[in-house]
Amino acid sequence: MSSETTTKPRRRASAKARVPYVGRPLPRVEDRPLLVGAGGYVDDFERPGMLHAHVVRSEVAHGRIRSIDVAAARRLPGVEHVITAADLPPVEIPVRLFPTDSSNRTLQPPLARDRVRYVGEPVAVVVATDPYLAEDAAAQVAVDVEPLVPVLDVEQAADDDAWLLHPQLGTNVIDRVTVGGDEAEVARLIRGADVVVRKRFRLARQGAVPLETRGLLAEYDADANALTVWGAAKVKHFNRTILSDLIGLPEASLRLIEGDVGGGFGARGEFYPEDYLIPWLAREIGRPVKWIEDRRENLLALNHSREQQWDLELAADREGRFIAFRASVLWAQGAYSRTHGSVLLPRLILLHASGPYRWQAFWGEASSVLTNKTPAGTYRGPGQYEPTFVRERMVDLVAREVGIDPAEIRRRNIITKAEMPYDSGLLDLDTGLPMVYDDGDFPLVFEQLLERCGYDQLRADVVRRQRAGERVGLSATSFIEMGNPGVFEQARVEALPDGRFVAHVGIASVGQGVETVLSQVAADLLHVPIEQVAVRYRDTATVPEGQGAFSSRATVWGGYAVAGAIRALQERAVEVAAERFNAVADEIEADGDSVLVPRGRRRRRVPIAELASEGFFRYEPGSASHVLTGGNVALVRVDPGSGDVVLERWWLAYEVGRAINPLTLEGQVRGAAVQGIGGALLEAFAYAPDGQPLTTSFLDYALPTAAESPNVEVLLVELGERREGDPLSGAKGGGEGGIIGVGATVANAVADALGGAAGELTELPILPETVQRLAALQAPAARGGAKPPMRSAS
Amino acid sequence: MKPAPFEYRDPRTVDEVIDVLAEHGEDSKILAGGQSLVPLLNFRLAQPAMLVDINRVEELSFLRCSAGVLTIGATCRQATLEQSIFAQARWPLLGEAVDLVAHSQIRNRGTVGGSAAHADPAAELPVALSCLDARFNIRSASGTRTVGADEFFSTHLTTVIEPDELLVSIEVDPPPAGAGYAFCEYSRRHGDFALGGAAVQLADGEVRIALLGASDTPLRATEAEQALAGQQIDAETAAEAGELAVREVEPTGDIHGSGEYRRRLTATMVKRALLLAADRDGREAA
Amino acid sequence: MSRKVTLEINGERYEREVEERLLLSDFIRHEAGLTGTHVGCEHGVCGACTVQLDGEPVRSCLLLAVQAEGHQLRTVEDLNAGMGEELHPLQQAFHESHGLQCGFCTPGFLMSIEPMLNTAADLDEGEIRAAISGNLCRCTGYQNIVSAIQLAATRMQDGS
Repeated sequence: MSSETTTKPRRRASAKARVPYVGRPLPRVEDRPLLVGAGGYVDDFERPGMLHAHVVRSEVAHGRIRSIDVAAARRLPGVEHVITAADLPPVEIPVRLFPTDSSNRTLQPPLARDRVRYVGEPVAVVVATDPYLAEDAAAQVAVDVEPLVPVLDVEQAADDDAWLLHPQLGTNVIDRVTVGGDEAEVARLIRGADVVVRKRFRLARQGAVPLETRGLLAEYDADANALTVWGAAKVKHFNRTILSDLIGLPEASLRLIEGDVGGGFGARGEFYPEDYLIPWLAREIGRPVKWIEDRRENLLALNHSREQQWDLELAADREGRFIAFRASVLWAQGAYSRTHGSVLLPRLILLHASGPYRWQAFWGEASSVLTNKTPAGTYRGPGQYEPTFVRERMVDLVAREVGIDPAEIRRRNIITKAEMPYDSGLLDLDTGLPMVYDDGDFPLVFEQLLERCGYDQLRADVVRRQRAGERVGLSATSFIEMGNPGVFEQARVEALPDGRFVAHVGIASVGQGVETVLSQVAADLLHVPIEQVAVRYRDTATVPEGQGAFSSRATVWGGYAVAGAIRALQERAVEVAAERFNAVADEIEADGDSVLVPRGRRRRRVPIAELASEGFFRYEPGSASHVLTGGNVALVRVDPGSGDVVLERWWLAYEVGRAINPLTLEGQVRGAAVQGIGGALLEAFAYAPDGQPLTTSFLDYALPTAAESPNVEVLLVELGERREGDPLSGAKGGGEGGIIGVGATVANAVADALGGAAGELTELPILPETVQRLAALQAPAARGGAKPPMRSAS
Repeated sequence: MKPAPFEYRDPRTVDEVIDVLAEHGEDSKILAGGQSLVPLLNFRLAQPAMLVDINRVEELSFLRCSAGVLTIGATCRQATLEQSIFAQARWPLLGEAVDLVAHSQIRNRGTVGGSAAHADPAAELPVALSCLDARFNIRSASGTRTVGADEFFSTHLTTVIEPDELLVSIEVDPPPAGAGYAFCEYSRRHGDFALGGAAVQLADGEVRIALLGASDTPLRATEAEQALAGQQIDAETAAEAGELAVREVEPTGDIHGSGEYRRRLTATMVKRALLLAADRDGREAA
Repeated sequence: MSRKVTLEINGERYEREVEERLLLSDFIRHEAGLTGTHVGCEHGVCGACTVQLDGEPVRSCLLLAVQAEGHQLRTVEDLNAGMGEELHPLQQAFHESHGLQCGFCTPGFLMSIEPMLNTAADLDEGEIRAAISGNLCRCTGYQNIVSAIQLAATRMQDGS
């Protein structure tokens, strides 16, 4: 092979003519194996001699364990091993994000020791030769529990005289965080305001509920002292560190492998009790052990989210200009602090409370509170979906109070471009620095949304239909999102002799199409067809350490890491070329997959692969998160007889900077929106008064089907600045924005359809029963005579 | 979520089934379409010692119309009923009901007989069969007996079928020509168990109303039926009949809706079904 | 209690000694090794395990393996069998319309939809949505799946 080839004219021409991959709605490179049944999800992996684990879980919400009798289970045919907490070292699963003294005193042991604190808490594990036999044996494990009073309601749990879940803490309130300025000043402003609305809001427990349940397969090689775990997701490098600490093996001995992942949504891939138990058992027994969560377990064991109670006061003037708000939030953490700790969610909730609006002042507090329910963590749009629901409901109530249209009140309060940079009065989650909104154009996005949906005409139609007796409603809401958090991301890009390139990157895939978008970025930088680029992220043994997939970050962070690694690869190639061809490095130019070395008046093109084999980059921008903004418009119809809510039309605008791949990004937005609709109308983890979960099947935990889901018209607003040579320039990522405003938008539209009774709509999900009751309170003909929302005018 | 162990029999004839039931009836379960039973097995909420699979009994797998009477064999799939042109044409209420049962994949396997024998008061087919005064042919070693719909459903998930008996077939008389009919229900999601519903048939001044999910069995709203007999059905009388229909019922509430909600919903569905049936009355004369 | 069963899946015969309680979904995945069929709930709600039994979509988690003897089973692996690198028109349409994200529910959708493709061109959007309501997807919001069905149905109609 010649390394002395001169520039090939044909190739130059094609390079000039090539259309960038970035920005194109490109179908995904991931699809083919998934379409032909050749995916590799965790249960598709098998190892010789593999055993099957079944976790025995508490059937009591709160109690002291008197004894656990495993003798009968051990005697059953095929049973290889049964363990309880007594067999394990005294380890607990640590907090990954923002640990506090209190969260560290409320950690979950992999198996319950002396107390059980929620139904579903692991108390024993049975390992057998077959999953059916393991389940048979699990049914024979006798757990004797002395019941204690379960604490279920978050407000009661926070009371001083509540029964305690973790007596050593002395309270059920793990931590409390605040946001905003001087509380007394805020109280004074509210007292003096013309219009004040006070409401209590409640959100039910909901969760990620991916279609694939969790699962793990662990194998220990004693000779090599190497432990391999299949079934990782989301944050495999973090989990490797945690597992290393808990199990007492160096990180170098641990290999976590991510197969195809059947949905994550924030909950899957965190470190759970089973992430310790299954590897521990594989090492203990010396045979591979597989555990596949069943759906009932999944609904009990995977992090829950969203459950919280708000007391909110919002003050405005008679023109609907906001003055101040004061919020007090109780976040239901459940029985333990898990990997998300006790302050992340309260902080996120408060960070998203003020929204895209200007306030003279605000103050908020949020506490994480223990209850005898499944522990909680993040779920898509964490701490964003909920405050947006609460705030946007309040905004509509104020609009109603002052008699202006919901769109108009938002216009009057939304922060304008001219006001930027705007000091939000908030502190960045990761850096603690003041959050300054200096990015995007909030009014522009909102106006584009209204224009796209033809808001004025829609409003006129709704008024006409309402007059004709139809119970229809229209809402327009706005949201913000603190996107792209994280500290670093790393990539290594290899140049192969055959002209292909492989990017190894520390992100994770949860089905969002990250291989495709990173391939687009790399192909554009390398000037090669996308087929010549491969993205690898699955195996901690071969990919550089990374932070994983959460909060709309994989594209941008992974992209910049890959771009940096390509640059490093090119720079290395230039150095080598300078040496090899005795040229001045400054005169050598990197050009995609090649370098151009001056030779007389011409330049010779040398493929990078002949000069350098890899480049590495650690992307560590150190700056605060981006602010993303967007809005939703919904047109709904309610059936007063059944309480049914039909979503007739839906528009969603989302300012994403720039879309690397509009096809996959719109897919993210649509999928997120429908998840949000589930949260608005269908989904709730319910508990009986004794703490028994009532939603342990897909009949009771109701995910939306195609029949309840609307077409979501997505308007991607791209205001990001384009910079030559930087395919990622302007991109902000956008995996979550689709869900954030949806609960608020459904609720406000339903409230609009219900007219005067709208003020009563303060809970999610909105049950048909509530709609039926509120619709009966006020028949459409009686509109206008309703009691206005509570008002504490002077 | 794997079934507990059980003994499995798959007899080929009704006689063989009866023999097995005579011996093991008390601790066995009949497996027809399995769309309700297998989930219960997988959750281990049902752990019968024996499953008697009747899917290989060819003589039970039929749907026929003779002398105007529709006879549905015990293992006739719901999809077969749904796709039957003559059943849809002449028993449109059954057709409307079966369309509302779960999803097509479930109906491809689920049986009409199985749904009747499972006797879930929130299932559509038992309600429609109740409205149509269906007859249930039940066999045991001691012979065959025929039970009317008013008697067949005893209580929640329970019928008069004894452990040694097999539901062999269901018979439905033809509705009067051009009878008005309607099946109305509301479920939170498409294909879910409904939270409330009603089946109505109107013919020659006779009014039949069967309620879904209002009680521990499908329930005929006899008081409302009598009150409406011979009456003109309009928005007002239909609403009154709805109120009358739910006056005595106390549906059980759960996380999807309280008993009171379901009562209100049922009244609404009765009203809507009556109006729809009245609208169709006489129109579809064969 | 176990017995010998011979199942025909995608035209291949699989003879195995299995427990009578073994679910068909487990047979397909772990005995026949056809892991394209996924298990999402094991109580018949999610539809991920949908396969075709004698050409009709059924939930494989609600059948016992022994019940499938003598029937013809078809799984997602068979959709583009013998087509080399080409995809079945429905698979191709899912790809182009971005009708899948995590892909876990996808085989169940494909096997549910495929038999109705010949008539789907005549269905309106609401009818298509109702027809696929027995399959849950947590990623896509369904809209692109509906588009994929419309695309595939139109192509098949034009092609026939």
